[in-house]
Amino acid sequence: MSADLLFKPVRELAALVRARKLSPVELAEFHLGRLERLGPKYNAVVTVTRERALSQARRAEGEIAAGRYRGVLHGIPYGAKDLLATADAPTTWGAAPYRDQRFDFDATVIRKLEDAGAVLCAKLAMIELAGGMGYRQPTASFTGPCINPWDTGVWTGGSSSGSGAAVAAGLVPFAIGSETWGSILSPAGYCGLAGLRPTYGRVSRHGAMALCWTLDKLGPLALTADDCGLVLEAIAGPDAADPTASERPYRYETAERRGFRFGLISDVTDGCEEAVVENFRRSLAELGEIGTIEEVKLPDLPYEQITRIILQVEAVSAFEDLIGSGRIAELTAPEDHFTPYAREAILAHDYLKAVRLRGVMAREVDRVISRYDARVAPGRINEAPRLGQEFRSAIRSTAKDVMGAAGNGAGLPAVCVPNGVGARGLPTSLQFMGRAWEENRVLDAART
Amino acid sequence: MPETPNLEVVTLFALVANRYGDRLTAEQLDEIKKMVEGQVEMARALRAVRLDNADEPAQDFRPYRSDSSPESGGGAQP
Repeated sequence: MSADLLFKPVRELAALVRARKLSPVELAEFHLGRLERLGPKYNAVVTVTRERALSQARRAEGEIAAGRYRGVLHGIPYGAKDLLATADAPTTWGAAPYRDQRFDFDATVIRKLEDAGAVLCAKLAMIELAGGMGYRQPTASFTGPCINPWDTGVWTGGSSSGSGAAVAAGLVPFAIGSETWGSILSPAGYCGLAGLRPTYGRVSRHGAMALCWTLDKLGPLALTADDCGLVLEAIAGPDAADPTASERPYRYETAERRGFRFGLISDVTDGCEEAVVENFRRSLAELGEIGTIEEVKLPDLPYEQITRIILQVEAVSAFEDLIGSGRIAELTAPEDHFTPYAREAILAHDYLKAVRLRGVMAREVDRVISRYDARVAPGRINEAPRLGQEFRSAIRSTAKDVMGAAGNGAGLPAVCVPNGVGARGLPTSLQFMGRAWEENRVLDAART
Repeated sequence: MPETPNLEVVTLFALVANRYGDRLTAEQLDEIKKMVEGQVEMARALRAVRLDNADEPAQDFRPYRSDSSPESGGGAQP
């Protein structure tokens, strides 16, 4: 059975489960075994939730046998980034000072997935405090650097590192990650996966670690864009516990892959590795068969500075106790021991200017993007960085990422999918970014 | 000729050094100074953009009443 189950998309597993050709308990055991055996090899797992998984799987099996099938996630295993609270396991936020932290409730996303019948098998490794303290290298997690299943000498990307490694290594069929700026798209891109950053407010953040209240989004990493849509439908929706969770209904629906209007920012490949540019050109040629591609110029605004200042100020405010007490010295990455102090020198006037400019940015980006179904760009500028090296990051101003700054700053949805391999044989990726609330259109474009 | 120190950087760095200097090594303080320089550059880019009086912060505040429901227009709904 095992070889047949590996790297099967959720939709295919669901068909087998529904037809009772695949037992949810056997499926859970299969993935629990892989998590326990291979999780440590990739530093991908913080806690295997064996007891909870088997309990959920047995319930799913009983319900399906009784004809009470809940939907495509019923009986499907998954993992959650360890910044989502669960009542029955520690929630470490990837950080040594919080390694024994416990909550007495489940995050809304965990509860919604339980309602959908999904089976929580593991809480997955992540960069400490979701990377908000300014980390520069892959080791910034108390569980060690997450190792990329494509090459054990390279990193998975972050901060949803374990979510990327676990899906790419076949430890779980899908995982939940979070993105403030790049934390879903980065591991998805580097690990050859589909990753969906939903519109801000599409998914409740209740029970998720707050890094930046106005930037944090939760979303899936999976083998296909189609799977991302299936998962999003289960986790989207209003939540009285999170006032930013939108009342807008979401239903994952697919449409024919044709008639698209793609926008292409003229200098979007600046700074990309050669193979990334080459694969992007090939992707554009393929996209030309399902739609038109038009070069666009974004209005002249300091996109990266706007989003960067908001992120840096919100992050130090969210962790003011940890920073003020000096306990950031207990974090793993040496740079996280002092970087947050510098941000206390950002003036309130400048922060508020960024928040005012954010409104202008959101309007201007929507004005431009409303003429298109999606803006396209490389998902990452490079292949995955090596484990022992510092990586470039737009958050620290060492890389350019206008798409990420505008997309996250304006709260827009984006999906990242693999589009080839680079010079080192590692995945390269393509991203589609859409208007607010248009996840289905970008998923249509990204689906193969 | 030595470079003229940027007074804004000097002042803001002094604030951090004064508050946290006893926790930091000389190397860390040097790194922080570079970060403050970057932050001042970042702020300059923002300050260079002119806004209208009507350009409000993109953050939503609603008055709160514990007995309000979202349906009645109260509460902390977006």
